[in-house]
Parts: sequence; C-alpha cells; structure tokens
Amino acid sequence: MTAVPVRPPLTRPRSVVLGGVCAGLARHLERPVAVVRITIVALTILGGAGALLYLWLWAFVPRERGPADAPPQRTAPVAIVLLVAAIVVALLVPFTWALPTVVPVGAVESALLATAAIVWAFALDPREPRHAASAPTVRVLAAILLLGLGLALFPGTLLAGRPVVAVLCVVLVLLGIAGFVVPPVLAYGRSRGVERATLAREEQRSEIAAHLHDSVLQTLAIIQNRAGAGSEVARIARAQERELRDWLFAGTDPFAGDLATELRTIARELELEHAVRIEVVTVGEVDAIESHALAAAAREALANAARHAGGDVTVYAEATPDAVEVFVRDRGPGFDAAAIPDGRLGIRESIVGRMSRAGGRAVVAATPDGTEVQLRLPRRTTEKGGPT
Amino acid sequence: MIRVLIVDDHSIFRAGVRAGIQHAVEVVGEAGNVDAAVRAIDELRPDVVLLDVHLPGGAGGGGAEVLRRSTALLGEVRMLALSVSDSAEDVVGVIRAGARGYITKASSGEEVVAAIRTVAAGDAVFSPRLAGFVLDAFGTTAGTPAVAVADDELDRLSAREQEVMRLIARGYAYKEVAAHLYISIKTVETHVSAVLRKLQLSSRHELTAWALERRLL
Repeated sequence: MTAVPVRPPLTRPRSVVLGGVCAGLARHLERPVAVVRITIVALTILGGAGALLYLWLWAFVPRERGPADAPPQRTAPVAIVLLVAAIVVALLVPFTWALPTVVPVGAVESALLATAAIVWAFALDPREPRHAASAPTVRVLAAILLLGLGLALFPGTLLAGRPVVAVLCVVLVLLGIAGFVVPPVLAYGRSRGVERATLAREEQRSEIAAHLHDSVLQTLAIIQNRAGAGSEVARIARAQERELRDWLFAGTDPFAGDLATELRTIARELELEHAVRIEVVTVGEVDAIESHALAAAAREALANAARHAGGDVTVYAEATPDAVEVFVRDRGPGFDAAAIPDGRLGIRESIVGRMSRAGGRAVVAATPDGTEVQLRLPRRTTEKGGPT
Repeated sequence: MIRVLIVDDHSIFRAGVRAGIQHAVEVVGEAGNVDAAVRAIDELRPDVVLLDVHLPGGAGGGGAEVLRRSTALLGEVRMLALSVSDSAEDVVGVIRAGARGYITKASSGEEVVAAIRTVAAGDAVFSPRLAGFVLDAFGTTAGTPAVAVADDELDRLSAREQEVMRLIARGYAYKEVAAHLYISIKTVETHVSAVLRKLQLSSRHELTAWALERRLL
C-alpha cells in the first residue's frame, strides 16, 4: 500500500482579503494563491462560474479554528469598493437613459450595490478595527446616493411616462431613508439588549449574595467566633470571609491598582500570614486614586503592625480634594520612634523615605496603647506623579 | 445587671454569644425570627436587644422590621445591631430604623459586652466602618463646606463631630478620642449620640441620594 499524501484540511484562514476562499483553496491544493485567484477570476469572466464557485465555497467551507472572541480580519475594504462601484454605475444612468429598455441600465445595479454597501458597512465592518472608523461614513454616503438617484430620476420618469422607473424611484428613496434610519434603530436595540443583560446579571448577583449571606458568611462568622481570635482556624475563616465579601459587595469590578482595592488585598494577604484582624475603612473617592508610593508605604506599615502588634488593626483611608490620607493603627506595645531597633529599620526607609520622595509625608505616632502610622499625600502628586 | 435579649436565627450563634457575654450580663431570652423577636421584646422588655440584621420571618424586612414594629418601645429597649456583613445597606438601614449601634459578628465576647454597656447607658456604638459610612454619607470629603454652623443643624456634622467620627474611623476607642481631643469621654459620647440622631433623622439631600445610590430607601 502506498502512503496517500495527506493534504492540509480545506479551511478558510482567519486573516483574509475578502472571504479567505482563495487562500484556503490554495493551501488545500498546495498551489500558489495567485494561480487560484487568476483561475477564479477567469472563470468569472467566462460565464460567471467562478463567482458562483467562490460564493459556494465561502458559504460551505468552515473557518479555521481560533479564539472565539476574535472576529476574522479582512483586508479588503469591501464596503468602500461596493460604494465606489455603485457611484460609477449610477453615473452611467444619464447615458443609458435614452436606450429602449424598460429600466435604464445601471439604475437597479447601482441600487443593489449601494444597498449591499450599507448592509456590509453596518453589519460586518464595525467588528473590524481596520474598517470600523470609515463604516458610518460609507453607510451615509450610500444612503445619500440612493436618495439622490431616486429623486433625480423621478421628474424624468413623469415627463417621459415610464411608470416602471417611477416605481423604482420610490423604492430607491425608501431604501435611502432606510439606510439612514434602520441602522441607528437596530444599534439602539442592540445596546438596550446589552443593558438588559447587564441588569439581569446584576440581579442574579445580588440574589446569590443574599443566599450566601445567610449561609456561608454566617457560618464563617460563627467559626471565627467559636475558634477565638488569633487561632489558625479563625484566621483562615476570616480571610475566606473577606474574599467572599469583596466579591459579593464589590458591585462592579473596580479596576485593579486603585488604592481601596490595594489596601483590601494587602489586608487579606496579611490576615492569612499573621494572627491579625484588619479592618479597612475608606471614605471619599479612594477607589479613584492610584498611587504606588502610598500603597507601598501603607503595605509596609500594615506588615509592621501585623508582625509586631497583631490583634486588631484599623486602616482608614480618606480622599479629600486636597490630599489623600491613610492611617494605620494597631494596638501593640508602642515603641520609641527615636530608638528604632534593627528589625524595625524598615519604617524609616520604606515608609518615611518613600512618602517624602513621593512628595508627601509620614508620621509614626507611638503611644502606650498602640502605634499609628499617618501617611499624607497631596492630591496633585497622586494625579500626575503616580505611575500608571 | 443589664438584661439582654439575643435575636439571631442561628442557634449555634446564639449559644456562642450567650457563652461569651453571660459572665457580665443577664441573658433573659433568645429569639430566632422577626415575629418571635417582636413578641419577646414586648413581653420581656430587656434593656438591650442584640439584633441580627438578616433575620428571617415577618414580612421579610429582617432586623429593620423588628425595629419598626417595636418603635413604641425604643425609649426603654435599646437595640444593638449585629451583622455578619459590613455593607452600607445593612448598617445604615438598621441605624436609620432606630438601632443605637452596630457591631460585626466577628466581635469577641468582651467587645460585645462593652458595646452592650455603652448602648444600655444611652450612648451609641460606632464601629470604625460605621464612622466611615457617616463621613461618606454626610459628604465631608466632597470639598463643599459641610460643617454645620449650629450644632443642632440636622443635615450637617459640626466640626467637632467630624473630628470625632474621623478618629473613630481611624480605630480610636472613645477614651482615646477624648484624650486626643482634650475633651472628656462624656463629651465624646455626646458627640457620637448627636451624630447618631442626625443619621437617623436627617433628610439631607446628599444623604438621601447617597442612600438611594446604595438602594437603602
């Protein structure tokens, strides 16, 4: 038995000129693309079989597998070509007007091309980055062409007494109006659909939240309560609770990197590592602030509190128009800021130094009841100076 | 001894709380749903009710419904809301319905006892989170002068009240707030109670908008 050479499968590539038929066919037959294209064009000119073959293959040959969310990339500006063709054909009408045909040659053809341009520009182009920008213009121009053609021919039909053409003119005008009106209406309906879907998701989410609330969160609270603060079980339960709570009550997903989210993430991480309970309170638009320096200094302060104090730690972040402030308070034995032991050298460099480099300031206030690290960053710095 | 009623639908949780506070207060009863809670409050007339925010039964209104149906007794029975969640909806909802304070269910027995004592004495219990909500709700960070000229103005916090709220949000105990501001603890408690009253009574436009945004009303 001789081995049959395996041909590449007949599929259309995802990055195509028009439909990907020629490229796919060339790959399958292992012939140059140019040869396939010339054959198709030649067959089209000699009786139209090429065009039929092309359309038939376009319809039935599957597209290459790829990421579902990535639409095929088309290089040919199909809508623009259709529009230009429609204009060119429409320009023939004055010359074919006098010919003895029922309808002047070019009028129907132009109308079909312009309609195709509108459909293509509305239905397919917006999904393609290469053509999305020009699509609305193409659509409007094609609609104007339809309207113009209909209105221009209409007086002539009345004078010459050609009722069929008069009907065609009415159809042209209607098509033109439809080209203007239908796409925006459809687009509106589509966006409303998206809105409804978002709303439904939101509702489902709050339903889930309500359910989990009564069961899982309660259980986690009971576990923490019974296990006693500081125990391993309580720590894990609390970290889980916080994670679940963040997910349930976050509403829309905040973009990662804002200060409020970062503080919560830091708290969650530290609660897993240390026997500490961290409460994060934010006031004002803290979730609109991005400041790497502030977040890093707060992380350092929190890590210090978790490591050396433990127990209950409160983080308070407040954004006012002038400044952003973060306070980290613990209940550990206070320490003398002037006589910082080696292990706590981190404070001076990573908190105080970092804040002053960022244009803010940091104060470490130690009392017998605990330590409070106060961070303050003027607002202008956070908006312009913070790395994005 | 302070007489306490524990209202929560989880019997294990009630038992846990009871065990944690029994040494300091007298637990006179327990209730597991809205109707039982309203009945128990009416019959037992406890000094303080530990009230779960998410309570089943009744018309489905949870702890806030218990508060509304016991409005007539709120003068002698103080309600302390207990919640597993710290979402704004739950916290501000029960406070506006008449609770005198709010603590999370993760609080230790000692913390619960301290909160019960504060509430029983007629003062309000503000957790850092609740203080944060108040500051947010009264728009103290929006840049507009939200400071009240007169202390009895319902729609705004006075400068002092704002300072107190900010310190509580920063995790300061009442005692520490007092030391920090060079005022007495009693004065701090007065300020906190005043804020509680404003939170309950204010129809301030921003507060309403803020509540609507969070689907509180």
